[in-house]
Amino acid sequence: MTATALSVRNIRKSFGEDEVLKGISFDAHSGDVISIIGSSGSGKSTLLRCINFLERADSGEVAVAGEIIKTHKAKDGQLSPSDKHQLKQMRARLGMVFQNFNLWAHRTVLENIIEGPVQVLKHPKKKAVADAEILMDKVGISQKRNHYPSQLSGGQQQRVAIARALAMQPTVMLFDEPTSALDPELVNEVVQVIRQLATEKRTMIMVTHEMALAREISTHLIFLHNGRIEEQGPPQLIMENPKSDRLRQFIGKF
Amino acid sequence: MMDFFNNVFSWLPELLAATPLTLILTLVAGIFGLVFGTLLALARLSNILILSVPANMFMFVMRGTPLLVQLYLIYYGLGQILPGTWVRHSVLWPYLRDGFTYAVIALSMNQAAYNGEVLRGALRSIPKGQIEASMAMGMTNLQILQRVRLPLAFRDCLPVLTSDIIILLKSTALVSTITVLELMGTARMIQRESLQIYEPLIACGLVYFAVVMVLTNIMRPVESRLTRFRKGNA
Amino acid sequence: MVIHTYIEYMGWGAGGWGDEFFFGFLMTLKISLSAYALAVIFGFFATTAKLSKNIFLRFMAVSYTTVVRALPEILMVLIVYFTVAGLAETALVKAGFVDKGFQFNPFWAAVFALAFVAGAFMAEVLRAARLAVPEGQIESATAIGMSSLQIFMRVILPQMMRHAIPGMGNLWLSITKDSAIVAVLGAFSELLYTGYRAAAATKEYVFFYGVTAVLFLLITLISIAVIQWMERHLNRGYA
Ligand SMILES: Nc1ncnc2c1ncn2[C@@H]1O[C@H](COP(=O)(O)OP(=O)(O)OP(=O)(O)O)[C@@H](O)[C@H]1O
Ligand SMILES: [Mg+2]
Repeated sequence: MTATALSVRNIRKSFGEDEVLKGISFDAHSGDVISIIGSSGSGKSTLLRCINFLERADSGEVAVAGEIIKTHKAKDGQLSPSDKHQLKQMRARLGMVFQNFNLWAHRTVLENIIEGPVQVLKHPKKKAVADAEILMDKVGISQKRNHYPSQLSGGQQQRVAIARALAMQPTVMLFDEPTSALDPELVNEVVQVIRQLATEKRTMIMVTHEMALAREISTHLIFLHNGRIEEQGPPQLIMENPKSDRLRQFIGKF
Repeated sequence: MMDFFNNVFSWLPELLAATPLTLILTLVAGIFGLVFGTLLALARLSNILILSVPANMFMFVMRGTPLLVQLYLIYYGLGQILPGTWVRHSVLWPYLRDGFTYAVIALSMNQAAYNGEVLRGALRSIPKGQIEASMAMGMTNLQILQRVRLPLAFRDCLPVLTSDIIILLKSTALVSTITVLELMGTARMIQRESLQIYEPLIACGLVYFAVVMVLTNIMRPVESRLTRFRKGNA
Repeated sequence: MVIHTYIEYMGWGAGGWGDEFFFGFLMTLKISLSAYALAVIFGFFATTAKLSKNIFLRFMAVSYTTVVRALPEILMVLIVYFTVAGLAETALVKAGFVDKGFQFNPFWAAVFALAFVAGAFMAEVLRAARLAVPEGQIESATAIGMSSLQIFMRVILPQMMRHAIPGMGNLWLSITKDSAIVAVLGAFSELLYTGYRAAAATKEYVFFYGVTAVLFLLITLISIAVIQWMERHLNRGYA
């Protein structure tokens, strides 16, 4: 039995009248790669964003490596983090990779990568740079270390964003459709990097439309529909034998 | 407190009576400013140096110095020079003793410089293709200017031109310093005569605010009508 | 002969107006710089209030910027000048810091008045600049656990400044010109009031208002050079 890296309990979230997440629970053990699939608007991004509190859920619980993020009900009915300091630590342990990269435009590749370690983890700059070298090598972006994001292709930017998240030495990596903003010919270079992370047994939660990738690297697949987990299990099993019509339809589209 | 507001309201009729003069100043200087501004923009863009260099300098000086200084220079300066010239004995003289004339001259010149700068930018940014298309069908330069370049440029900078009108309206308050009794001048006169410091100014502020809000809301539909061709391909 | 007179007019000391203009020039710069610095502070608070979640703060900030931007500068300056000078005097006398009959330093009242006006425009410039920073970059900073202060100082501010520089530059140019309005108060000798006194004393209106205009133009020219340099400097590294 491996340790639970991330535990999500009963997350609910509404936007106005619209209940987008209707009680989501799952666990990720150390080394798990969980892919979350589902049609557009099914709440995948919202779920990821609720996990690191970029979005406030209405209720539920998130624990990283066994430590529950402390919350209380705020006046507006949403779940608010009670301990700012703890939240910062927790966020530092959840590496997030966004669909649109969200690199800081005024910082070079290297500066983007060392920003978190230096500012949040308070690593000495020298160590942060040394660590960054290794990561830049790993994602194949070393030659571009002094470039600004606007001078990079989408694929290169996303690889930098992955390196930036990895630099925090996170317990869990969260990916929100990391390849869907990319031109088709650039998808592969990013997929390569993610594939490599999977082989290193990194714990990852990945929202994706890349069914082939999900099938290849995931240990567990979650199909989200209308704010609920409609079906989940080992990817091969689920994809070859979908129980629900909806999943069958969804897979049929690919 | 009640007294204060009663005082404020008691000045409104007198101030409202002065409002037409503020509007006339705005309108007249606005029209002159637009006409001269267009000429300035064209002069500035022309290849003829004796047109473009003076136009450039004029615009730079007018935009680089305070309107108040320009007002004083024109009002006191012309007042110093003109009496010694033929103008002294011409039919124009009665008008030239009035601050209003100088106010219009200064405001128009200032407005022309700002409008000219905006229009120059708009004229320059017209896509080459549209001008080439006009040339290709044999339009003359004047035709291209009238039918293509100017209409496009005006529509392009309409939002700036309309907000410049509001700025002009606010600038007319400065002419109160050269004895013109428009809104601001009237308020300051009341201030002196009644020995109330705040009330006339607050009342004056209420009137300006109302005028600016009305004007802004009149211009908005005009603006969106003239720029409707842009919608949909934005 | 005539040229000779003009040189005398601009002489230093009792006979000429050269020294007065020199100090008037410095005074205009001093008023403008002080008012500008204060306007940045006003603008910053107004922007923060405008973008805040608190309805009351938002309402106050929107009222401030809407009203101030709708009224003539000269009117606002007069209102604020009299109010600030009056209220500050009363307050200081009441608090016992100063004796009865004390007069508030007109310099600071004028600076405050100019800054109050410019602050409303500054707020718009800063707000637009703040909104030009992509939300995603703020999220990615939040996601790695940066604090609000860190996010502001390291992500928002540097990028905001790049967007704000052109607007802030224009505001500087207009504050130097608007500073001429305080001549109307007649309380201290900046450039225009100096010109006014010189012209009135000598009846050489064209010459002295001409000198005044040239000096204002000089301020504009220097400012433009500085602003362009700053723009180039801040845009380094951007495609
Ligand atoms: N900030 C918000 N305010 C209101 N509604 C929102 C907000 N964010 C998301 N939603 C709504 O919540 C629902 C789920 O959105 P979400 O972005 O999580 O979907 P998704 O599964 O990630 O879709 P996609 O595959 O298109 O990214 C959608 O109906 C969306 O319109
Ligand atoms: Mg999404």
